[in-house]
Amino acid sequence: MTYRIGVDVGGSFTDFAVFDTGTEKISTLKVFSRPDAPGEEILAALDIFSVRDGIEPSEVSYFTHGTTVGVNTVIQRNGHDIALFTTKNFEDVLQVARLKIPEIHNLYSVRPEPLISRDRVFGIEERMLATGEILKAPNEEDVERAVRAALEAGSKGIVLAFLHSYRNPANENAVKAMIERLAPQLPVVSSAATWPIIREYERTITAVISGYVQPRVANYLDRFEQVLRERGVACPLLITKTNGGVMGIDQARAECVQMILSGTASGVIGAGYLAKASGFDRIMSLDIGGTSADVAVIVDGEAQYGTGELIGDFQIHVPSVSVSSVGQGGGSVAWIDRLGVLHVGPESAGSTPGPVCYGRGGTKPTITDAMAAANLIGHMPLGYGAVNVDHTASKAALAPLAEELGIGVEDLAGNIVDISVSGMYAEVSALVSRFAIDPREFYLFAFGGAGAMLACFLAKELDMRGVVVPPTPGVVSAYGGLIADLKNDFIRTVYCEVSDEALADLCATFDVLETEARDWLETQGYRGRNSIRLSADMRYLGQSFEIETPVEAAWFREGDAALVRRAFHREHNRLYGHADEEAGVQMISLRLVISGTTPKPPLNPIAVATDPAKPRFHVEGWFSGRSWVTGVYHRADLAAGHRLRGPAIVAQDDTTTVVPPAFDVLVDRFGNLVITKTEF
Amino acid sequence: MAIDRRNLKVLANFCSAAADAMAFTLMRTAHSAFVKETEDFSCQIVTREGLAFANPRQFGAPWYSGIDYAPLLEAFEDYEEGDICITNDPYSGFVATHSPDIHIWKPVFFEREIACFVVGHIHNTDVGGAVPASLSRSLSEIEQEGLRIPPTKLVSKGEMNRFVLDVIRANVRLPAQNLGDLQAQIASVNVGERKIQEIIRRFGFETFIAGVAQILDYAEAQTRNILARVPDGDYFFADYADEDSVGGKPCRIALTLKISGDEVVLDYTGSDPQLGSSLNMPTGGRERHPLVMVGLTYVLYTLDNSLLLNAGTLRPARAILPEGSVVNCSRPAAVGMRSLTCAMTQIVTVGAFAQVLPDLMPAASPGGNAIMNIKTTSRNGRPVMASIGPVGGGGGGTPFGDGSDGAGGATGFLRNTPIEISEAEVPIRFLRYGLEPDTGAPGRYRGGLSAIMEFEISAPETIITARNRNRSIMPAWGVNGAHAGSISRFLRNPGRSDEVSLGNTDVVHCDPGDVIRVVGPGAGGYGDPLSRPTDKVLKDVRRGAVSAASAERDYGVVIRAGRVEEEATATIRSGRRPAVPEVITHGVERRAFEAIWNLERYDLLTAFLASQPVGWRYFLKHRIFEAVEKVTRDRPPVANEMRMLFEEMRIRYALT
Repeated sequence: MTYRIGVDVGGSFTDFAVFDTGTEKISTLKVFSRPDAPGEEILAALDIFSVRDGIEPSEVSYFTHGTTVGVNTVIQRNGHDIALFTTKNFEDVLQVARLKIPEIHNLYSVRPEPLISRDRVFGIEERMLATGEILKAPNEEDVERAVRAALEAGSKGIVLAFLHSYRNPANENAVKAMIERLAPQLPVVSSAATWPIIREYERTITAVISGYVQPRVANYLDRFEQVLRERGVACPLLITKTNGGVMGIDQARAECVQMILSGTASGVIGAGYLAKASGFDRIMSLDIGGTSADVAVIVDGEAQYGTGELIGDFQIHVPSVSVSSVGQGGGSVAWIDRLGVLHVGPESAGSTPGPVCYGRGGTKPTITDAMAAANLIGHMPLGYGAVNVDHTASKAALAPLAEELGIGVEDLAGNIVDISVSGMYAEVSALVSRFAIDPREFYLFAFGGAGAMLACFLAKELDMRGVVVPPTPGVVSAYGGLIADLKNDFIRTVYCEVSDEALADLCATFDVLETEARDWLETQGYRGRNSIRLSADMRYLGQSFEIETPVEAAWFREGDAALVRRAFHREHNRLYGHADEEAGVQMISLRLVISGTTPKPPLNPIAVATDPAKPRFHVEGWFSGRSWVTGVYHRADLAAGHRLRGPAIVAQDDTTTVVPPAFDVLVDRFGNLVITKTEF
Repeated sequence: MAIDRRNLKVLANFCSAAADAMAFTLMRTAHSAFVKETEDFSCQIVTREGLAFANPRQFGAPWYSGIDYAPLLEAFEDYEEGDICITNDPYSGFVATHSPDIHIWKPVFFEREIACFVVGHIHNTDVGGAVPASLSRSLSEIEQEGLRIPPTKLVSKGEMNRFVLDVIRANVRLPAQNLGDLQAQIASVNVGERKIQEIIRRFGFETFIAGVAQILDYAEAQTRNILARVPDGDYFFADYADEDSVGGKPCRIALTLKISGDEVVLDYTGSDPQLGSSLNMPTGGRERHPLVMVGLTYVLYTLDNSLLLNAGTLRPARAILPEGSVVNCSRPAAVGMRSLTCAMTQIVTVGAFAQVLPDLMPAASPGGNAIMNIKTTSRNGRPVMASIGPVGGGGGGTPFGDGSDGAGGATGFLRNTPIEISEAEVPIRFLRYGLEPDTGAPGRYRGGLSAIMEFEISAPETIITARNRNRSIMPAWGVNGAHAGSISRFLRNPGRSDEVSLGNTDVVHCDPGDVIRVVGPGAGGYGDPLSRPTDKVLKDVRRGAVSAASAERDYGVVIRAGRVEEEATATIRSGRRPAVPEVITHGVERRAFEAIWNLERYDLLTAFLASQPVGWRYFLKHRIFEAVEKVTRDRPPVANEMRMLFEEMRIRYALT
């Protein structure tokens, strides 16, 4: 008997998904996170598993873990002081960034303070040309001077980012070797080794973020590993990745940027898998927590990938699961401006102090308070008894605003929901235009603490097919980690025109990438089947943005560049609606993704309904300022085939699903709530 | 449900979403890379009367949020469902402001009634004319600036007017690009139309129309609220662009800001006569022309970040734009480079507000970001043309912090080109790119540092252009006792025996081995530099933003071996308390110029030129400048001297 465990450590709660390989059943657990003593939450959970389910640590055969420690280090800017070595005379790369200021209408606007201050940036006398030819190799004396200065400035690590190192990393490698001799205690992160893309700022900031969070992340992972080993968990430990895959803990310690979006990405992967396994091929995942609301587009179980995901004030440029922020979550604060106009957000009460109705010190009325004041949440304990909803407090918090507007509290609650949802609508609609998709073909897949509370309202505005609420919306991220594949990305900048003459070199580059990829999978201890995907970043000559286009190795081996160009024209046409068959095509880089498949547990069907669903009781719920007799159901009472008619409230341990009037709910065979507009 | 203050944000959010959808569609389907790189386009939804009420929130040129399409909408008596109209002619309605900007507009019908219009423009890379890309400072007539399409129905009841396409094809250098971009514009307005129809279905026609009026009223009320807090009075400010033509005289932009209650008048009287170069702004004298309101929009938004930007925002404002002046030129004046002049109107607006709100306005961001372009040949003889990015000054120091480095304030919206991309595309080698120390003018909050770019040319007959460069003659100003900025520099072969200072030249021919260095103009500082905390000065010195010499000279902070010498610093600082400072600090170059060309002289000149025909003014301005330069000593009182000069002119040119 063995168990596979996926864990997601969030700011407030840590979620577990446990797969019993014998019974093929999944069970879940939620405990409080312990930011004060990381690792304690894991121990607490292992104790519960042992007592509750009889699972012993030695029986754990697979363990994945997602964490926000990396992204929080950047947001809170509490990483260690590190130094940056650049090509001499190009030291201002972090300050200049891409020049544009964040708020173009605001005369006070400045770019965010760099993570490495300019007095810890040192120019090295070296120069690589765009061709990869070394114009000037670094010399030991110069490097020694810089290392000494970096140490004097108290640096705890060094990031190397030299011009054109994507093309030839020789100078970065040479300096790295010198530093290892001169100051072996300093961790060194090289930009070419982190992610060798052209564009100096993008490559540098990616390496800087990796280096900046590294000491803290490594420390955290050491502690995590130690705790598990002491308790007798002997299996390899895996960490969920920014790219939606998993990797071994040693790689996570060294290449931190690969795990920086760990938790967010695995939520999307979990949503994608659960949706697909339940038969939904087009979804948008909606993950709403206390401070954030995130949406990702998932087609056929596959998330969209991109680069440039935001980490605090900065973007990282490694391949990432593409997730867009659409709001500030359940803690968004409602307020009235000087002219008497009602607004919601962007201020958020977050999870601390949180909404007023949670009674944990919050004083400002939030969207969650509006839902409580409308009597739509808080009829059964939330968050594993951790919070109870105080309806009176939420009404009292809304009362001053209602008075100012001269309306009832319940009316106001409806307005707050409408404004908040219209804000999310605007963000999602931008996403829809960017990806050129039609929301009418998509379901909204709601998870996170507050996703199911607001999903129907949003789906209605977007005219979507419906809403799906999985059986345990709180553990979707943990689930994602459990089923994610081992996965790594490889890239080489090639910068050439796509012509028959260029193909021989490109073939050779592919071979190198493939060897690297297979070696990687082997070092992960994986012996099963793998899949390799190739793509190329291409553009028309003169364009400045590339499109990642799937390609096949055979096209290169057969020596027919026209096939590669045609693939690009097709992709360009698919995305932009036009292509220019006559224009020259430039290839900026070649990419390869390797994955080793992880077994996917089947979904557990739930019991089939024999009687109609019965609400536990009825309450007076308010929708758009109108009162409705609203049935409150317990999720555990619902069986496959049950149908409910809105308005209804479905309460469960980790969330409340609010079903407005004119929506119908069907409980499918896996226990998902499938909510669609009532057909009249 | 009617729209009121409880749900105004709901309708506003929906309308912004529709404008966003238009912008994304345009960006996604545009053919020219230029659109994606520079985001020089606009998308709006305007009322049946032409007033913009929804703009994209993140994309597009920042100048057009309050645009009024009325002159174009009125060009046609009737609209039918499926019509799309087009124009790029600045002199037909003054909505398009130079020929590369092709505007289109489409009525949105709902149950056979017009609900609003969806509109927008793209800056096309080329629309024909005398020079590639259609823009050059040296052009003097609109006819040289390429094809002009007067307001025309491009699509009539869904049917494309092929003749318009043929005309474009016959007149431009890269027709496929223009026509491709036009398709993207059409796709964009079509998406906007569909989105608005969805919104009307949700809210109802009457509610939508009334709600849109409330969105405009709300923005107007916000602006009035801001203006009401600004003390009443007239506040004058002027500034100068380097040259009014190649090798010409300074070009003055003057503004009297008249605040009264919750309204403002921007009186541009005193600005130079229209020019024989392409720096003119075609506003048609329209009271709320977007080009003369950009600075006001920035100031209002800076004072209140919750301000909704639309045509309502500008309702409490009105501009006075004298006919035949650089801010309201008459045909056939060329207008291609009006953005340089527009940047100056933004600067004088901030300067005028600084007179009354010195505790809230930042110092001058210098403007004049040089757009560096290179035309050269690769090793295999292939011609290469590329933009290698903007090089300008930083943002002015603000009342709350240092200005932004490398670019900021009103000109902070451009992105740079990565050095690695430029070196991969163009056979040049960069020797330096970054920030130049000591270029941020000293202040309690200093100006942002200027960008510096230096590169070596490797092919003969290479041409470097530095379009829009400015501030090589008079620097940006400081506020509340801070220093003024430094002038921009443009050098060939710096530090060598063949070093040449290129002044305000914007086109340079180079050969292999030549090195070009550009340093952006310095941004002004804010507040007395002697009051800057010593630890911040020390930090600047450690970070290389300020030299130890400047720390001592300008900030009175003595730094030795990386430490502040407290005693020496205290001695210097206490011994140097300046008198109560003026609100504005000008640089020596400007003070020298204004010693001759003071307010009185300019007022006399303005009055004299205004009495002469438009076509004569620019010519007469030059003759008078030359005559004033000749008077070296024994100057009579200004009024007498100018009267004599005007008399001479009248006689010599038989003027009235």
